[in-house]
Amino acid sequence: MLEKLEQIRREGFESIAAAPDREKLEMVRKELTGKKSSLQEVLKSLGSLDADMRKSVGMKANEVKNQFAEKIREKEEELIANASVVEGEIDLTLPGIEVPKGALHPITQMCYDLNDAFRSLGFEIYSEDDISSEKFAFDNLNFAADHPARASMDTYWLEGTEDKRGNERLCLRPHLTGGSVRYLLEHGAPARFVYPGRVYRNETTDARHERAFFQYEALIVDKDISFSSGRVMIETILEKVFGRKVNVRMREGFFPFTEPGYEIDMECLLCGGKGCKACNHAGWIEVMPGGVIHPNVLRAANLDPDVWTGFYTNIGLDRLVMMRYGVDDVRLFHSADLRFLKQFK
Amino acid sequence: MNISMKFINRFVTLPADLTYDQIAYDLTMRTVEVEDVIRTADKFHDIVVGEIKEIKAHPNADALKICITDVGEDELKQIVCGGSNLTEGHKVCVSKPGAEVVWHGEGEPVLIKESKLRGEKSYGMICSPLEVYLGDIIVPKDEREIVDFTELGIECEVGQSVAEVMGLDDVILEVDNKSLSNRPDLWGHYGIARELAAIYKVPFNELSSELPEGLPEYPVVIEEPERCNRFTATKIDNVYVKESPAWMKTLITNAGMRPINALVDITNFVLLAVGSPQHAYDSTHVEGDKIIVRLAEDGEKLLLLDEKDLELTHDHLVICDTRKPLNLAGIKGGKDDSILDTTDSVILECAVFTAPGIRRTTAYFNEKTDAALRYEKGIDTQRADLGVSMALSLFKEIYPDCVISAFTDNYPVKTENAVIDITQDFLDRRLGEVLPQAEIEDILTRLGYEVSFDGETYHCITPTWRSTGDVSIHDDILGDIARLIGYEYFKKQPLKISFESSVNQVRADLARKLREYLAYRCGMNEIFTYPWIDVKFINAAGIDTSRSIRLATPPAPELGYLRSSLIPGMLEAVDKNSRYFDEFSIFEAAQVFEKGEYRPSTEEEVLPVHHNLLSGVFAGKNATELFFKVKGVIEGLAGYCHCESLDFAQKDKPSWADDKVWLNIKSGKKVIGSIGLVSVPALAESGIKMINAAAFEFDTDGLKPYPSRTNEFVHLPQYPLVEQDLSLLVDESVTWAEIRDAIKYMVKDLRFVEEYRGKQIPAGKKSVMLSLKIGNDDSTMTSKQIEKKMNGIIKVLNNKCKAELR
Repeated sequence: MLEKLEQIRREGFESIAAAPDREKLEMVRKELTGKKSSLQEVLKSLGSLDADMRKSVGMKANEVKNQFAEKIREKEEELIANASVVEGEIDLTLPGIEVPKGALHPITQMCYDLNDAFRSLGFEIYSEDDISSEKFAFDNLNFAADHPARASMDTYWLEGTEDKRGNERLCLRPHLTGGSVRYLLEHGAPARFVYPGRVYRNETTDARHERAFFQYEALIVDKDISFSSGRVMIETILEKVFGRKVNVRMREGFFPFTEPGYEIDMECLLCGGKGCKACNHAGWIEVMPGGVIHPNVLRAANLDPDVWTGFYTNIGLDRLVMMRYGVDDVRLFHSADLRFLKQFK
Repeated sequence: MNISMKFINRFVTLPADLTYDQIAYDLTMRTVEVEDVIRTADKFHDIVVGEIKEIKAHPNADALKICITDVGEDELKQIVCGGSNLTEGHKVCVSKPGAEVVWHGEGEPVLIKESKLRGEKSYGMICSPLEVYLGDIIVPKDEREIVDFTELGIECEVGQSVAEVMGLDDVILEVDNKSLSNRPDLWGHYGIARELAAIYKVPFNELSSELPEGLPEYPVVIEEPERCNRFTATKIDNVYVKESPAWMKTLITNAGMRPINALVDITNFVLLAVGSPQHAYDSTHVEGDKIIVRLAEDGEKLLLLDEKDLELTHDHLVICDTRKPLNLAGIKGGKDDSILDTTDSVILECAVFTAPGIRRTTAYFNEKTDAALRYEKGIDTQRADLGVSMALSLFKEIYPDCVISAFTDNYPVKTENAVIDITQDFLDRRLGEVLPQAEIEDILTRLGYEVSFDGETYHCITPTWRSTGDVSIHDDILGDIARLIGYEYFKKQPLKISFESSVNQVRADLARKLREYLAYRCGMNEIFTYPWIDVKFINAAGIDTSRSIRLATPPAPELGYLRSSLIPGMLEAVDKNSRYFDEFSIFEAAQVFEKGEYRPSTEEEVLPVHHNLLSGVFAGKNATELFFKVKGVIEGLAGYCHCESLDFAQKDKPSWADDKVWLNIKSGKKVIGSIGLVSVPALAESGIKMINAAAFEFDTDGLKPYPSRTNEFVHLPQYPLVEQDLSLLVDESVTWAEIRDAIKYMVKDLRFVEEYRGKQIPAGKKSVMLSLKIGNDDSTMTSKQIEKKMNGIIKVLNNKCKAELR
């Protein structure tokens, strides 16, 4: 009997060791310790043995049973430690399951980056409509009556209005600045607001010139502000756009609606100001015009130029986006070409 | 415009330690944008003066000579040359190895190397003027004539750089003309020199403005004083056509013009110097000995100097004699009045024409001449004083025997000085710092202002050259002071921050959320298209153009209409992209226009009606699936964008949509747009093949944004809900909406699972599978309750939708 137990133990250990997974191990457990197991049969037959034998066989059988339990527990731990959720081979280099990949237009992205920056500086976001009149696009902004920009070679006038004047001569707005007077007429001063949008010029197009392009203009009107505050504002904005500090300089410039006016240059990011092809070896790139709002423009907005002053900043969004990504053809922005647009995440 | 520093140095002596790059930088920051700094000597490297010591015959070529030449190095060099005027002992122009010359004055520069010519060693090259960029200054008689400095009487030394000898070691500042457009005074070296003198605070050499006196008058009639404010005519006899002196030719060349002959060069030199255009007429061509400044007759003809035949109109100002127009006033000379080889007496015109007329005429004939460029900026009448004075002194210098025989100054309109007061207080506030009185006065005086200060106010008399529109208000004077100090030297001042209107901007936020929802939630790509739209796609979309706006001068004939819908642009974009992609989705937010009356700002200004539209397209193969994708986008939009929810109805079919598959979008009771499958005709007319498209378009102003997020918290159910699936068999005509509406009040939740048509389903029927949840609010449902409830639901479905369980 003891020999039989010994054999049960040996064979039991072997099948425990051979169990390949937890399912098989459970079957082995049932085979070894279940009601129909050989061990159970031995235990059942104890009654037919003499007392001494019963004692030693009983002890031995219990010992085997405990050993089985122990071995199975060890085996189970081993199997858990080495198990995988997935059966068989798996190619981990297969691509993941796609999430929908849409994107905003790179110009919209830039515009929203600027919105975030300007709103953090307390600016309101305003928008003017695409069609304007000569009154708002030119007269209010101190453009001379015979300024060349008023010609149909420069501005898209609407059919049937092109030979009229002022309020009655309508166009696709050639710049955003007309919107400044609209806002001020509606809201008065003090004011601080941005008004991004698309503008239109009758131009011959090439890689650097477009008929429809985007501007982002900001205006502050207040009492007793000096134009030197404008520089701080511009530095803050550019830092947001490019993600790092960007040196800027203000220099003399001229626009009908400003006095004084200035051009704002930023240090060329490609060469760090040393001079390269991109910046025409100047180290600086012209990014935005700006200037102190001209008294005649304030008057057009029913504001007293002796009380109020302010300054404009006008950012060419297309150019800024081209610089941000190294885009070399401005016409791509209106191409609706997804091979281009899908690149901007 | 090209600014020659040698020219500038005639009017101002700049500090010796100043670099040209610094000058360019300071001008850029304070006055005009300098785009490039060009050193003209660069192209003359290794081109030096040599002296021919001995000339020997070439053993293998009769036309060539061997010249033993001293080029300023340790030993004499042997140079083979075919020049027609080689003379022993004369100084010539030698290109050494490394120099770059232009063969016969044409083509790309060629590098000079030591070589052999017909078997004889040649160190370099003895050059003709054309080969070394001197063709405009030294005019050779024949092609083989070389530069002979000794013959020309030009002083020089062996080994000296030819650029230096000829005064071509200049530095040219290339100025962006655009940045000069409001500064008529800077269209001459004199004006730029004044700015430099003010920037560096050095003395400025004022020019004489003396006019001839006591001479007989030359008759000049100005019929249009508004177009011609001043006309001076000076008759100069006993002159003849000859070359200008080398110094003048050099300066004219450096400043970017070509020397012609001394009579013409004097006028061009004055133009470059003081920006005062002049014209010299051969006096024998002025018939009737009288000049008339008048408007042309309609149809009158004028043949220009360059043979261009103009047909004039009554808006064009011409200078005439008693019989015919001589030239286009202030723009270009006529063929008939020009200087000829035989000219021995000239009438010198120095006039002032006003800007608007010049601008119109220039544009009309597309004649952007140097004179027109200056006149159209607005020249002060006093400039003619400088012009006449300088021209006459040049005539006396170049033609010592000339006789000034008549002079007229017809001067109907005089440029008035702008007189402007500016207070110290205004300056302090706008500059953000207090500048000393002495500094302000110094800056303004150097710029030509006459300034007096009464303790509070600066009384400024603006110089006439700034009084033609450039300076007119005190802000202009503020600008002059600020730029001369330099914007970079002002202390940065922080912005006073105020948060009033920037925080809560519901409309701006909505516009942004809509785009972000479509891009980042729905996986669509934003596109931009032009507002003018190809009529092909307008027609394809079936859009009625009777209310559309048109451009007067569209970019192309077929692009005349401004869009009244975004759908045509979408069709064009789908057509383009379908060449590269089988499946994609795009959207655009933009304004569209239609006839109507809209007053955004004032009563007087009436604009067409604008609509802010948002449109999108899903393009791919499975039309039904595309439609439901679009529908899902609209259904999910309100939740993400925090606006009142949208609904659908069929009221008004959009022209571009399939007859069967379209819905209107409703916000509240109002229809704000549509969704639908793009119809087969619309696809076909757009040229879209092999792909379907489902589109939406709506007016975003019809959305009603919530002031904040408004979803409310709902308590979690206290008792478990029971989920049941039902598979119904209904007639084809029964809609999901009917099924949903029949039982939605009986359930906690109801979801559509799928629709099925197939072999097991009888014809005219369909199977609809749905999933619902039921439950009690106050207890767990018992199986009896569940059974009762489900029976009730099935009964209702049977009554209302004739639905049977499958």
